[in-house]
Amino acid sequence: MDNDMTVIGDSVTIRGNLSGEEDLHVLGRVEGSVDLDSTLVVAESGIIKAEVSVKNAIISGVVVGNVHASESIELTREGRMVGDISSPRVIIVDGASFRGNVDMGDIENMPERPPARERPAPRPRPVVKKDEPAPEPEADEPEVEAPDLEEAEDVTEEVAVPKKKTVTRPAAKAKAKAKEKPAKKKPSFLEPPKAKGLPKKKKRVVVKRK
Amino acid sequence: MANTVIGNTIVIDGEITGEEDLTIRGTIKGRIALSASLYVENSGTIEADIETENVDISGSVTGNISASDKVELKSDGRMVGDIKAPRILIADGAVFKGNVDMDR
Repeated sequence: MDNDMTVIGDSVTIRGNLSGEEDLHVLGRVEGSVDLDSTLVVAESGIIKAEVSVKNAIISGVVVGNVHASESIELTREGRMVGDISSPRVIIVDGASFRGNVDMGDIENMPERPPARERPAPRPRPVVKKDEPAPEPEADEPEVEAPDLEEAEDVTEEVAVPKKKTVTRPAAKAKAKAKEKPAKKKPSFLEPPKAKGLPKKKKRVVVKRK
Repeated sequence: MANTVIGNTIVIDGEITGEEDLTIRGTIKGRIALSASLYVENSGTIEADIETENVDISGSVTGNISASDKVELKSDGRMVGDIKAPRILIADGAVFKGNVDMDR
């Protein structure tokens, strides 16, 4: 049994005080008090009639009693709770049942923080005009040619350089310009980035390890 | 049915009842009443009266045991208390002090 958390099966009833420092998964019944220094997960079949004091609580079953969560408490869609909640972060999902008080602490002085589940706001990228792509690859050229000369000697630089090398070729320049224009017109965050294609394989000095 | 495991940092002060196997690696004080098997592992410490079908002890038990089938004290088990069960197995190395009653 490789469990890093304690599981209380669905036919087990614990009446008394439960304390610990590891995660607790309740599928059965607990009456009394629960005092954990970690996460309490109440499964759908779980019933807790106790005073709960934990770090995090995720409730998908029934909890009757006050819950004090020092980090967060989440009532999922199947969760049902009667009692007071005291936690700095409270998540009540649509469909949950709850009756009681909610105390998030000192709201006035609550630090600004982004919600954990939301993705970071996409950065708006400036729409590139047709004139702009032209100067860019030209500016790259003088920078790229220097490492080209050193290509044979220095293996490590090849790893960083491949992308720029395709742009320096005259035939590839036109292709790069043509590709860049349509790609930059559309806001990039709405579409997955287009694959640039595999860089053509260069002569590589392969050092085989024995 | 989930296998109930009480981890090694958990302390329960009270009563446990159930109908499935229970594995204890933590500390229990009070009473345990199961209609299945109780496994006390090395790190488990029980200060309780136990009433179950089977008991397997590799940890430390202080209290009376009443089993309807078998009590097994493994070589790293320690027990202080009375045992009442139809079948008893005490392995070499186990420490035991108490009464044994095999009559039912």
